[in-house]
Amino acid sequence: MKIRIIAIATALVVLSGCASQVTEAGYYWGNYANTLYVYAKEPSDETLAKHVEELNDIIVESNERELKVPPGIYAELGYIEAKTGDDAAALAHYEAEMSLYPESRIFLERLTADQK
Amino acid sequence: MKRIVTIILAVSFLSGCVEMGTKQDAFPSMYGPQKPVAILVVPAINESTAADAGDLLNVTVSQPFTNMGYYVMPMPIVADIFRNEGIIEGTQIKGLPAELFKKNFGADAVMFMTIESWDKNYAVLAGNVTVGIEYVLLSTTSNEILWSYEQTVVVDTSGGSGNIFADIIATAISTGMTDYASVARQVHAQAVTAMPFGKYHPRNGADGLDKSVVLAAKESAIAED
Repeated sequence: MKIRIIAIATALVVLSGCASQVTEAGYYWGNYANTLYVYAKEPSDETLAKHVEELNDIIVESNERELKVPPGIYAELGYIEAKTGDDAAALAHYEAEMSLYPESRIFLERLTADQK
Repeated sequence: MKRIVTIILAVSFLSGCVEMGTKQDAFPSMYGPQKPVAILVVPAINESTAADAGDLLNVTVSQPFTNMGYYVMPMPIVADIFRNEGIIEGTQIKGLPAELFKKNFGADAVMFMTIESWDKNYAVLAGNVTVGIEYVLLSTTSNEILWSYEQTVVVDTSGGSGNIFADIIATAISTGMTDYASVARQVHAQAVTAMPFGKYHPRNGADGLDKSVVLAAKESAIAED
């Protein structure tokens, strides 16, 4: 009984409380895994908006804590913006990704060319 | 037959008589000039009976490998690109020369994931899910296998097993939405313990002597390709 309670409590912490965790590589992911999964499973304006909100939150929170924004976050945000026609915002976010992670350059430049 | 091997593996793992090797001995190419920074994960190959297991794997794979210190090409974008090309699973890519991915994506390595089992099984134990995933990381310059691993996790879904981690998974499954994504994350989390750290991890290059590779898991992944 006691073990069960501890297990459930731990599960709740794992599922909800990882928002404040920073990984060994120094990344803050917030609730990324969850919002991405929910969006992938049930794509809608609402689930997409939630995921975009999470991406923005990761950027804000990482900057506040003086952490590097994790790989892919800027790129993902830029990609969503490009799809909705906001090319300027998309380019700015692709640039941010490339300056943090130079190995993304070939991919993102090609993506930009293809999205035009 | 495969199931029996899996169970034997699981049992011998629990009893502690599994042969372990160091990361550097098992994967020497990951400590040389071929060591990748940018990894492209192609859509999973699903050989199991669970139809949506591939999507679960694709959506959960970036984070654990990124946390190991690699630049994993953003999966949501990559998945879209492949979908637009009519590619929904990795089998369609397997024969292509890996250098294509260097040219088009700037990837140093390509990772294939094959779901070998994702079965609910009520016969062997009270109730469990056996998930087996094979990972193969290929260099885009030499086509050489840089890292390979076959990770099997038996998740007890009957609850109250006394194993705190199994209980967490069981709880996650019963909560619905997170359900099987937690199982996928659990498999990735165990597999990456055998992965050498990458450029963006503080222990990059300093983990060669970590004895965390189950040698049989490495061999069985290679043997099938």
